[in-house]
Amino acid sequence: MKRIVSQCIKELAQFRRDRLTLALAFVLPLMTLLIFGFAIRLEAKDIPLVVQDFDRSNLSQRYTERLFATNQFLPVEWQGDAEKALDRSLARAVVIIPPDFSRRIQANKISDVQVLVDGTDANNARVVKNSIKATTQSFLQSENLVPSTASVTPVTRLWFNPGRKESLYIVPGVYAVVLWIFPSLLAAIAMVREKEKGTILQVYASDLSAGELVLGKALAYLAVGLAMATLIMGLGAIIFQLRFAGDPTPLLVGTPLYVGTSVMFGTMLGARTSNQNSAVQGVALVGFLTALLLSGFIYPLSNIPFPLSLVSNVIPARYFIEITRDAYVRGVGWSGVWFSLVMIGVIGMLLFNVARKALSRMQLGG
Amino acid sequence: MLRQFFASRFWALVRKEISQILRNKQLIILLIIPPTLQLLIYGFALNPDVHHLKLGVVDYAQTADSRELVSALTENQIFDVKTISFSETALAKQVEAGKLNAGIVIPPEFSRYLASNKPTQVQVFIDGVDANTAGIASGYISQIVRQYSLQQLQSATSPPINTQVIFLYNQGLTSSWFFVPGVMGLVITLIGTIVSSITVVREKDTGTLEQLLMTPAKSWEILLAKVVPLFVLLMGDVLLALSIGRVIFGVPFRGNFFLFMALSGLYVFVGIGIGIMLATVCQSQQQVVLTTFFINLPMVQLSGAIAPIETMPKFFQYLSIVNPLSHYIAIVRGILLKGVGLGDLWLHALALAVFAIALLAISTNRFRSQLS
Repeated sequence: MKRIVSQCIKELAQFRRDRLTLALAFVLPLMTLLIFGFAIRLEAKDIPLVVQDFDRSNLSQRYTERLFATNQFLPVEWQGDAEKALDRSLARAVVIIPPDFSRRIQANKISDVQVLVDGTDANNARVVKNSIKATTQSFLQSENLVPSTASVTPVTRLWFNPGRKESLYIVPGVYAVVLWIFPSLLAAIAMVREKEKGTILQVYASDLSAGELVLGKALAYLAVGLAMATLIMGLGAIIFQLRFAGDPTPLLVGTPLYVGTSVMFGTMLGARTSNQNSAVQGVALVGFLTALLLSGFIYPLSNIPFPLSLVSNVIPARYFIEITRDAYVRGVGWSGVWFSLVMIGVIGMLLFNVARKALSRMQLGG
Repeated sequence: MLRQFFASRFWALVRKEISQILRNKQLIILLIIPPTLQLLIYGFALNPDVHHLKLGVVDYAQTADSRELVSALTENQIFDVKTISFSETALAKQVEAGKLNAGIVIPPEFSRYLASNKPTQVQVFIDGVDANTAGIASGYISQIVRQYSLQQLQSATSPPINTQVIFLYNQGLTSSWFFVPGVMGLVITLIGTIVSSITVVREKDTGTLEQLLMTPAKSWEILLAKVVPLFVLLMGDVLLALSIGRVIFGVPFRGNFFLFMALSGLYVFVGIGIGIMLATVCQSQQQVVLTTFFINLPMVQLSGAIAPIETMPKFFQYLSIVNPLSHYIAIVRGILLKGVGLGDLWLHALALAVFAIALLAISTNRFRSQLS
């Protein structure tokens, strides 16, 4: 135990000495939190829209106003060929109101309004289409052109997040992504540095066991990772106004467990790859990718297709996201997330064993 | 002339770089495996489609009308009925625990009210944890219910405004067509900066840079000899990414191939410029790993590769103007999906050219001043 602690102290001292790494270790998570928290907005807003009104009647003007009153579209001026506006990406959609628009409607005939939507971004294209259709419907109702009382109306209640604040969904996920990438990256770099400098040979020759070495290093970076976690969760609470929705104890237990697993992942990579940084870089990339894409951080887990969905089962970030979202949004508590905690623990133990084995193979018998 | 070139110092340096790269198996792997994996994972895993949401139904009415409403909800595969029960509280519990995405409660008087033309309400619960999906789901539900309710009105004629929606460039609305061009840009950025910074820093790390300086080779020759093989390799990556996009994801290629390669070449120079710049800042390879994160993360996230730029807050939209990647992605999407030419893309192309020249000039200058 004493040897583990002194290994840990040595590691922290080394970490403190590298100024640039030290600075980046805290600036990077913060930057990631801010960028992801502020810039990832999936909901379409302020979509540039061109309305070409060839009718110029009161009715068509009211229709145009109604389209922009949804706050989803931003008016863009464009004369001439409608498709060109989309070609140049000046607008995402063009609504073309024909010259006989009001005349036909007053004569009780159907008027065709053409809507050209840029399909490049398929998701938003669908949103634009639905939004224009719904606005047209409500326009018709307010103009008394269709029966206004629909006989069945849905009364919708959004649970947990009635204002549909997207930061409430994204930020807890960012915690999981940040606390996966950076502690593991730092641990991997520390391990590789030891190998590159050759100091690992001294360790091999000493009577420090592989398990003690791994635990000592992990303990040091666990401390660093927990400092990181406190920093981003504290700032996240202030900037994005996240409050605990229920029992915070699963998060309090889960965070050290998760950061520990992340550090183990990094140590394992560092122990297994040869002394080339490009290898660490390649795998750090993969770690980043899986935490970002196979964890349900951006889009729901159920959208991941078959072979990849199997992989997502062993991604610890996926389980930690369930814990953070529960702590900050859902608020079910232990009964909802105990399984996630168990899975993170199991994966952490497995990684520890792989790292220990990889190092003990190199060690002199004794 | 050609003979002279092959006998030149420059050519010798290029040969040295090429053989060094070829010997470095990890570098070759780095050029092939991560781009392939990234394209595949991003392309397959990023799927914003809202479909097969788990719906719980509590149908107190149990009539043909109510069943029709439920089947209207499941018709487009947006919702799959997971549970049918008679307990509102059980349904609420399941939505709360995240087992269901949405629940609908149809009241017992549903059919009676419909028949007598009285307004009736159905209750809908939606799990709002995922704000985006919840918003889209609630939009779908009200749309479907409205449609259903209009059908119930016998007198209903078709509404007087008929919106004909035409999707340009991507009729089938395949979402990977949006992500794949974005990820192509992302891959070139990541690999370009990492590979070029590593090759320069390694030379610094091992001290062989000083040895090179002792030779009569000029510093621009040293640098150019480094850049040329990197450029060729990274253009190979561009082709690799393009073939994966075409073959596996079926992304169309509607524009001009040579324009695409020329503008990609410009962007590769941007990547190399950033890489060399990082290498001049960093002292060791470890620092390179962290600083590339520092540069690449904001560059990628604010480029519109994953989340479209126009949905970002205004501040980040302005920031994206000075992000070369966002220009490159606009170019790739323009050429591949829209089939537009330089006439529509010249502004992005000009921006890329400015970035490429500025970055290369600054980084080579820094590199040279560090050498002397």
